[in-house]
Amino acid sequence: MEIEDLLKYLVEHFNAKISIEKDRNFVLARVDKYSYVNVAEFLFKEGFRRLLTVSAIDWLSRNVIEIYFITYNHVMNVYVKVSTEIPRDFPEIPSLSSMWENAAMHEREVWELFGVSFIGNKMLKPLFLENWKGPPPFRKGFDWREYVVKEYGLKYPPVPKTVYQ
Amino acid sequence: MKISNIFKPFKTVGKFLVEKPLTFHFPPESPVFTERFRGRHIYHPELCIECKLCGIVCPNNAIDFLFEKDEKGLVHFRTQVDYAKCCFCGLCEDVCPTKALEMTNFPFLVAMDKKELYYSWKKLSEKPSLTLPSIKERKGLIPWARARSFWIVNYFTGCCFIEAVPWVASSFDMERFGLLATASPRHSDVLLIGGYVTPKTLKRIIRIYSQMPKPKFVLVLGNCPMTGGTYWDSYNTIKELDKYIPVDLWIAGCPPRVENVGYAIFLAIWAVQHGYTGKEEYVNTEHGKYALPYVVPKINKDYNIVEFGPQHPASGNFNILLKLKGERVVEATPNVGYLHRGFEKLMEYRTWCQNIMIVQRVCVLDGASYELAYVGAVEKIAGLEVPERAKYLRVIQAELSRIQSHLLNLGLLAASAGFDTITRITWGDRDKILYPLEYMTRGRVYQIYNIPGGVRYDIPLDFVDKAFEVIKYMEKRLKIYDDLLFNNQVFIDRTKNIGKLPKEMAIELDVTGPNMRASGIDFDVRRNVPYEAYKDVDFKVQVLQDGDVYSRALCRRREIEESLHIIKQAIGKLPKGPIAERKMSRGGYFSFMSSIPTGEAIHCVESARGELCFHIVSTGGVKPYRVKIRGPTFDTILVALPKLLKGVQVADVPVIYWSLDNCPADHDR
Ligand code: SF4
Ligand code: SF4
Ligand code: SF4
Repeated sequence: MEIEDLLKYLVEHFNAKISIEKDRNFVLARVDKYSYVNVAEFLFKEGFRRLLTVSAIDWLSRNVIEIYFITYNHVMNVYVKVSTEIPRDFPEIPSLSSMWENAAMHEREVWELFGVSFIGNKMLKPLFLENWKGPPPFRKGFDWREYVVKEYGLKYPPVPKTVYQ
Repeated sequence: MKISNIFKPFKTVGKFLVEKPLTFHFPPESPVFTERFRGRHIYHPELCIECKLCGIVCPNNAIDFLFEKDEKGLVHFRTQVDYAKCCFCGLCEDVCPTKALEMTNFPFLVAMDKKELYYSWKKLSEKPSLTLPSIKERKGLIPWARARSFWIVNYFTGCCFIEAVPWVASSFDMERFGLLATASPRHSDVLLIGGYVTPKTLKRIIRIYSQMPKPKFVLVLGNCPMTGGTYWDSYNTIKELDKYIPVDLWIAGCPPRVENVGYAIFLAIWAVQHGYTGKEEYVNTEHGKYALPYVVPKINKDYNIVEFGPQHPASGNFNILLKLKGERVVEATPNVGYLHRGFEKLMEYRTWCQNIMIVQRVCVLDGASYELAYVGAVEKIAGLEVPERAKYLRVIQAELSRIQSHLLNLGLLAASAGFDTITRITWGDRDKILYPLEYMTRGRVYQIYNIPGGVRYDIPLDFVDKAFEVIKYMEKRLKIYDDLLFNNQVFIDRTKNIGKLPKEMAIELDVTGPNMRASGIDFDVRRNVPYEAYKDVDFKVQVLQDGDVYSRALCRRREIEESLHIIKQAIGKLPKGPIAERKMSRGGYFSFMSSIPTGEAIHCVESARGELCFHIVSTGGVKPYRVKIRGPTFDTILVALPKLLKGVQVADVPVIYWSLDNCPADHDR
């Protein structure tokens, strides 16, 4: 399959919104959350053997979390980023670990840092943090600068200050 | 087996006996660092127009302004710098319109009280000078013996540790002052904290500290444990270490330059020789929050559980739980997060420009690649066309950085296989590579050389000669590595057919870089999706077939040669012209406080450890909305390593581990 055919297929079958970078081989595709796994399955079958990452973006103002994965095809020499949106208050999406083995670990990270759960992923337990009790730390609502003042007693404010003798 | 593979190493080592030693004199007879290094500032109050730009741009809040009246009654705002916070990025120097604030190459900043590192404007305007204490005089035999046999706990807590590395190597050689790195806290006198400390690491540090015998000394490298430093707003690093354990000596810098570490060692020896026995001991676990539970290991007759790391000479700040049956590994489970700072969100708090001074700190071993991936993505969003000259300069920087990273890894691998001599040699040679790197970029470990649109400085006129000198030297040294390591029968036996990574597995588990190429996969981002000037230089992608520890090491050794070849070409072809472009094709100019248009971009580069990608989202503000760092070691270590370790001998664990060239700071971020 050529890149053009691939993109056409994505648009026709999954109603994807596509944008391509001009000289380098990156394709950004947006799909709805029901097609997310199907697109992944399709790409996997088309020879996208490497999964680079699964990650998330917290869109606070729109109250959604964007979930995406990036995958690479050796034959076509193309990277595809597929993204979808899920509600922020009910963040759940099927896992990709049945296709790419390393997806489970990336999803575990997203679970810990963004509080998104992945249906079918058996690995969802803390990765980086020990006994973390706060909210998912990478969510936009969690202000680190407030937190470090409270938690570690940081004294200086984030602006240059004037000192007086 | 070749007979020459047994005798050649002896012959080569024999030759060293008659060669000039590689070790630098310390204290240095002449400055061993270049005149371009970014060290302490010098402030010229008469030039300062009090615009406060330096304070606004400083990412670490290291600059304050003193309000005062002079003798004529005129009001002034004087610039003062806190070296317990400064990370020596030089942004303040870049924005200062009158050159009232400049950086000298003076690296020596050590204090027993961290308040002394706050430099008032008067102190800042004096020319820096240094008097090293003499360690010849002594008071009594016991203090002398104690001072001349410091044993240092082997715990690589953070990125500052990189500047303790040359002290182990042939270049600085700490053993001549009686210092020795040791694995057991119960036999050590000195706890050397190398940089930032996360809560998870702090628990281990407290445990180690309480296990050390008296008198014990705590030396702290870097600004992060002093005040929070670069990670002052990270949710997962502690800000002041002396809240939890006493600290004897603060060594400032980010990381402190290797000579500054030497200065601190001298001060420590001097003080202990004069009877200093350390501060009063205390431990504050904040009501058990930072205390590790004491666990009695369960005895099981079928298998044993052994922890590899994080306080282990061959692990880095990383831990893997090994389930052993006899000498064989049944199961391996990585336990990470000791170096997790939340980098991606940290970058959301900093402006596009301030991020250039933090991004390389993701992984200290190869910072240049992180700079390139970040600026590449920003340039795509902003529509910045990088001038040709800058593209070539970036290639030179990236390749020099790759060489030093591979040398470091060869040393680590050799040490874990029991070849300490090679470690001393390759790490010593790494110092030689850092010399032109610093001369070019003004930074030794963290170069902070790139900005979106180009590079910050042009190369000095005599850079080319200096670089060629080092390239020639390295080419000669590679032959020695062959004799001592790659054609050494013991090393071959120790590493061949061990830790085999099959080709299919490498692809499916997304292992990249030299690890992937050693398994027979012909992929290199520099060639497959070329960036910067890589399409204009000629190089071979090194592919080997066996996929074992030996092939991975050999792949790195060949890549060093290839990198030297690339640097020679890049220097030869270096075009003339500007080094940075500020005009964004999507409107406006890029500057220190500017915003960039809405958009998102992915940019991948070939770092020393494999494919590194940045995915950046901009919503048109002065700061990124989201940054995702896809590091090269995440899948390799967290997913592939446990599979490789299954069924191997426990003695092979460190060898396999380092053959994958881990950077714990990269997968933890
Ligand atoms: S060098 Fe960087 S961190 Fe230090 S004072 Fe200047 S801007 Fe701040
Ligand atoms: S930027 Fe330069 S001129 Fe302006 S306040 Fe700082 S030191 Fe003075
Ligand atoms: S950021 Fe700088 S001061 Fe902090 S640990 Fe790393 S090198 Fe040391």
